[in-house]
Amino acid sequence: MRPAAPLWVLLPALIVLPLLALLPGISHGGGWELVGQFAAAALRPSLDPIVLGSVLGGLAVTAGMALLGWAGSLVLGLVLGIASSRVVWRTCYGSAAPASWIRRLLAIPRSIHELLWGLLLLQVVGLQPVVAVVAIAIPFGALVARVVSDLLDALPTASLEALRCGGSPAPTALFTALGPPLLPQVISYSGYRLECALRSATLLGVFGLGGLGTELRLTLQSLAFNELWSGLWLLLAVMLLLEALMGWLRRRWSMPARLGLSQRGVGSQGQEMVAGAMALLPVLVMVAWRLEVQPATLLQWQGLPPLGAADWGAVAALPWPSLIGNTLLLTLVAAALAVGLAPLLLLLATPWPAAGALVRGLWALGRLWPPPLTALLLLFVLQPGVLTGALALAFHNLGILGRLLLEAAETSGGNKEQALLAAGVGPRLALLYGRFSGLARPYLAYGAYRADVILRESVVVGLVGATGLGSQLLEALSSFAGDQLLALVLAYALLTLLGEDLSDRARQWLLETPHGDGHPQEAGGTWR
Amino acid sequence: MSALLKLQDITVKGRSQPRLDRVSLQVDAGERIALLGPSGAGKSTLLAVANGLLTPQQGRVFWQGEARARSGRARRRQQARIGTLWQDLRLIEELTVQQNLNAARLAVWGWPRALLNLLMPLETKACTTMLQRLDLDPALLNQPVSALSGGQRQRVALARLLRQEPQLLLADEPLASLDPRLAGELLTLLLELANPPRALLLSLHRPDLLAGFDRVLGLRAGRLVFDQPMASLEPGQLAELYAGTPGA
Repeated sequence: MRPAAPLWVLLPALIVLPLLALLPGISHGGGWELVGQFAAAALRPSLDPIVLGSVLGGLAVTAGMALLGWAGSLVLGLVLGIASSRVVWRTCYGSAAPASWIRRLLAIPRSIHELLWGLLLLQVVGLQPVVAVVAIAIPFGALVARVVSDLLDALPTASLEALRCGGSPAPTALFTALGPPLLPQVISYSGYRLECALRSATLLGVFGLGGLGTELRLTLQSLAFNELWSGLWLLLAVMLLLEALMGWLRRRWSMPARLGLSQRGVGSQGQEMVAGAMALLPVLVMVAWRLEVQPATLLQWQGLPPLGAADWGAVAALPWPSLIGNTLLLTLVAAALAVGLAPLLLLLATPWPAAGALVRGLWALGRLWPPPLTALLLLFVLQPGVLTGALALAFHNLGILGRLLLEAAETSGGNKEQALLAAGVGPRLALLYGRFSGLARPYLAYGAYRADVILRESVVVGLVGATGLGSQLLEALSSFAGDQLLALVLAYALLTLLGEDLSDRARQWLLETPHGDGHPQEAGGTWR
Repeated sequence: MSALLKLQDITVKGRSQPRLDRVSLQVDAGERIALLGPSGAGKSTLLAVANGLLTPQQGRVFWQGEARARSGRARRRQQARIGTLWQDLRLIEELTVQQNLNAARLAVWGWPRALLNLLMPLETKACTTMLQRLDLDPALLNQPVSALSGGQRQRVALARLLRQEPQLLLADEPLASLDPRLAGELLTLLLELANPPRALLLSLHRPDLLAGFDRVLGLRAGRLVFDQPMASLEPGQLAELYAGTPGA
């Protein structure tokens, strides 16, 4: 008995069953009234001009930090991506070995979450606007570098070889043969990264790095739910506008869709793309000036409290098995929930347009709502712990996966679903058989990548307590325990790299096993 | 003979001109009808109205004398009796032949059986009979559809159509992308399958393949320009139908 493809996407949702059994044990029920007030406040956001002014100001700072961090990550990512591309080294130098070494080195900054970068920099240089920008730029840059090098190495090299045979110098041949097909893919991916940067900038704000996130956390902690919703609705509007703009640009420039199922060309209207990128430059300069982002302040380290001698005995005495076990459990539960619930909710809502709109709204909220805030909200009714952290991360990632699934469902399998509908099959079964069959592999491949992201993100729900390495790390950070901090960051990095390797293998298996009409799935390696 | 499908004054609006303009026709049990017309004449739209995928802005559709239900189970019950053979076949590549054949029963199966079909082979005997009827090796049942040849896929699509147990077979240009040998074979099969009480309504581009049909419909710019027995069709009518179109 081997489940067929459409069932694969639903199987992870089975995690709901044990969770439902466990939830009564960790709920304390004391805060249902507060949750009710929070929900009711959604319909009555504060329209007080002072509140709105403060929220708008916070949003401007968050958007500015996101934009600058994103731009920095693109520059870093492009340079490092080219430097870690096998095809570039092979063409210029005759051997791809240096590319492998650079890739391995880049895995370290990539494995450390932007929040950790932010908190570490905060300790070193104090609260500066540049901290959030650099905290986003470093891990995102390493991520973009990996994607750029993957994309470069996956491009067909026939035209490159032809140019080299014709005597073109290596840099010219590389630029001419690989530049045009690479550009739309990089721009499409960078649009997606901008959305991620906005979410990360909000998250950094939750941890005190300024902007809307800080406002959201303060209003939540002071139970000013009406003011909280003013910020949330505004953030939702900006996020949806940004997503719509990116979707429009992707369609206008015929850029590859997110799961690569739409079989479009590699892109067109290159001049328009380059002009768009150039127009961004003055905007970036103006934003940096307004936010007073001064890179020089990164060199002005503040006086740190004296670090005691390293106590490696105490480090070794940390409950490592439980810390690592809890981190992995949190990751698995959150990933299974997010991956399994997205298709299940889509199936349940399919026959009713109103339910579909509700699910989309819920996903949009999940995407923009930083997981630590969800965790804080859950603490009203649940006890702190692994499951509470997992639920918070699952809600956020459900929003991201749900949107991706919806995008992919809209561009693939429509005719098979239609054929089933014409034969009198109900809308849910037609969706399951008609669309999910083709989507299963790329969706799960993306889910494997998402699990890898969740592992990195588990640090952000550390504040809920007892959630493994994340909470221990935040504790070490706040108590200036440098030795523990170093050991925990290394453990995190190692775990993340192992997770990345595992999810890479899972993706490769899912995408390369022969199936159906052979969708060429570069997506698993692309949408990081 | 009893009427299976009846379209009455069907209009489907398009951007600049109607895709179907007050089309009326009736399909009786046992009839084999060819639907002719140049590209863009509205043939696919007509078939989409017939199988219930498209609801016309004006006009009424009757199935076995009953007005077509607007939505829900009653409509799906009617649709389950109408099978469509698509030009691109629309087989589910990721599933086995058996799962594809059983997908034709989803309209009458409940969720438990639909899910079981994705876990284990169901109704093997019925599926084997279907394959044998179309001269296919029953060993193919466990093969994924993606592993089949073009000819085998055509026959599996036909087997799926039959497994649906429809009373009306619709076929949307099924011969368009086939070589002459395969096209001839498929048409012969379709005509054989359309025995009373079953009926066949097939759209095609090639007037040279009309021999086995009882009745011919000519559609042009969304309007039905002729509807008559095959025997009385004049070559001039065909020339007029395709006049001014590329390749005419």
